[in-house]
Amino acid sequence: MNELYIIIKKELTELLRDKKTLINSFILPILLLPVLMFGVIKVTQMVRKNNEEKSIKIGLVNAPDAFMKLVKNDTLNQVTTYEESIDFKTLIDDETIQTAIVFPAQFTTQMDSMESSAVQIYRNGSKDNVNGRVSKIMDVYSDALEKKRMTQLALSPEKLTPFKENYVEIGEQKELIGKSIGGWIPYIFILTMWGGCMLAGIDLVTGEKERKTIETTLSLPISKFKVLFGKAIVASILGFVPALLNLVGLIVGLKFIDGIPDQIKMALSEMLSFQSITLILLLLIPFSIFLSGVIIMLVAGATSFKEAQSKVSPIIMFLILPLVLAAMPGIEFTWATVFIPVLNIGLGVKEIAAGTIDMTLYTVMLISLLAFAVGAIYLSYKKFSDESAILK
Amino acid sequence: MIQIENLTKSFTTKTGKGFKKETLTVNAVNKVSFECKPGRIFSLLGANGAGKTTTLRMIAGIINPTSGSAIVDGIDISKGNEEVKKRIGFLTGSTGLYERLNPDETLDFFGKLYKLPEAKLKERKEYLFEKLGINEFRKKRLGQMSTGMKQKVSIARTLIHDPEVLIFDEPTSGLDVITAESIIALIRESKADNKTVIFSSHIMSEVDLLCDDLAIINKGSIIYNDSFENFKKDMTAPNLTQEFINRVKEA
Repeated sequence: MNELYIIIKKELTELLRDKKTLINSFILPILLLPVLMFGVIKVTQMVRKNNEEKSIKIGLVNAPDAFMKLVKNDTLNQVTTYEESIDFKTLIDDETIQTAIVFPAQFTTQMDSMESSAVQIYRNGSKDNVNGRVSKIMDVYSDALEKKRMTQLALSPEKLTPFKENYVEIGEQKELIGKSIGGWIPYIFILTMWGGCMLAGIDLVTGEKERKTIETTLSLPISKFKVLFGKAIVASILGFVPALLNLVGLIVGLKFIDGIPDQIKMALSEMLSFQSITLILLLLIPFSIFLSGVIIMLVAGATSFKEAQSKVSPIIMFLILPLVLAAMPGIEFTWATVFIPVLNIGLGVKEIAAGTIDMTLYTVMLISLLAFAVGAIYLSYKKFSDESAILK
Repeated sequence: MIQIENLTKSFTTKTGKGFKKETLTVNAVNKVSFECKPGRIFSLLGANGAGKTTTLRMIAGIINPTSGSAIVDGIDISKGNEEVKKRIGFLTGSTGLYERLNPDETLDFFGKLYKLPEAKLKERKEYLFEKLGINEFRKKRLGQMSTGMKQKVSIARTLIHDPEVLIFDEPTSGLDVITAESIIALIRESKADNKTVIFSSHIMSEVDLLCDDLAIINKGSIIYNDSFENFKKDMTAPNLTQEFINRVKEA
């Protein structure tokens, strides 16, 4: 045990003196989420403000006075009136106007005689800001006409509304948001963990070969298993800690960054309770050992950092695909999915976030992850003991 | 004392294209036998790829032999190579040092794993640092040191546990003459301390300076094994290098 501690201490000391490791494993994970949250909020606010202040060029044909007044109320709307319908496609393409609203010539008569009419709106579907604002104007105008007709017909709004639907929400806010966004939380942890384990695993095994210290390490009077296990534990720590720091970053971000909608803020805070965090972190411990074992097994035969990286890179697909599946609706945390690594974490975290986790399934998942971790360590030990691979 | 008998190491490689795979087994070391005595320097000579490093790695417990036996300081390597490793100081051109540690930390790490009592470790470390002139850079990271400084630390870490058996595999390879000299001095001193010393080299001037007993290994097999005195007596070539080349070619 003491020998294992000496190996872990030495490997950690070495890794923590590497600037690359410090940045990737500590500084980036803690800053990532707050910076991302802050950035997204600021960019969204900026885009919204920018859109609101943008003027839009509208072409109008046969527009009734009331509509014309409505459009001109917003000084940001630049109106061009056309006598008749022309080739608006070309005008929109060459940006003379951004949208065109064509009322039929007899529109006013149709309205007066309470007939239904058709208004042509020429638009480019990709211009969300223009289309949104035009739709808003059309809705306001349509509502005004509707009200006018109801008054003329002496109809009250109640007469046209046979019943109202009142929904009584049984599920808690936490459950609703947990089920919808809880599936995305593991992305943050698992991908950061992957990055940490990968860098450390490669440095601890292939890095030793590159720095010509592997023979020195193998000449130490301790078993290869202890050397390997020490390295795997250190790689796991360097995977687990960034995931933990991600979480800290998320909590700090939620607390101090302005502009997050209160509903989401409250739900996320509730999701990230002490109990939820403990349950999530407990899963991540065996999973980080499993990842480290797999990485060490793959890189044991590599002779350079580049070769090692190309050997482990494809694994990311085996992490992302199950996480995508876990975030999809319809795939549930059941006895069929509890044994599939990564997918089980994705689904499990979703249930934990929603507060609906079945503790029997959770325990089974934890045990299965531990079994996978033991299997990965055993396989990495076999590879690490392969003389032709490790001394290549 | 090192006693090697019929030591063999085979490596298996898989070759082939598509679904057709062939397994090829090569004996890197083939039934090698020799003996190294305390207080004498045993040189293992051979061209590149002759099997020197593989033999020394087996003796040092870094790789396991396929067959045969090696008894190092009374312990059979097949009985557990951790005990053997405790009795060996192993220094080669490829036993690098941990560049992000300093000499102090490096020697503490090795000393603790060799299970030296704390007081003994401190005493031994101070003795080696003083003797090798490491004190002035003992807190400097190895990655920031010159080759000569690193070599001094390598020697210190090889000797930290005062091993009975010292193995040097091409220890001066790639070093400048001043740094190489420190290794030569270390080998001589170890002999004077009655240690068992085995070293491999293909630098004949070093062999001439140090060697008491000699074995030549070629294609994994020993083709000569006797005292250096007898080797020199039997020489037909004008110098050691030519004699070595002739014997390898004749084998």
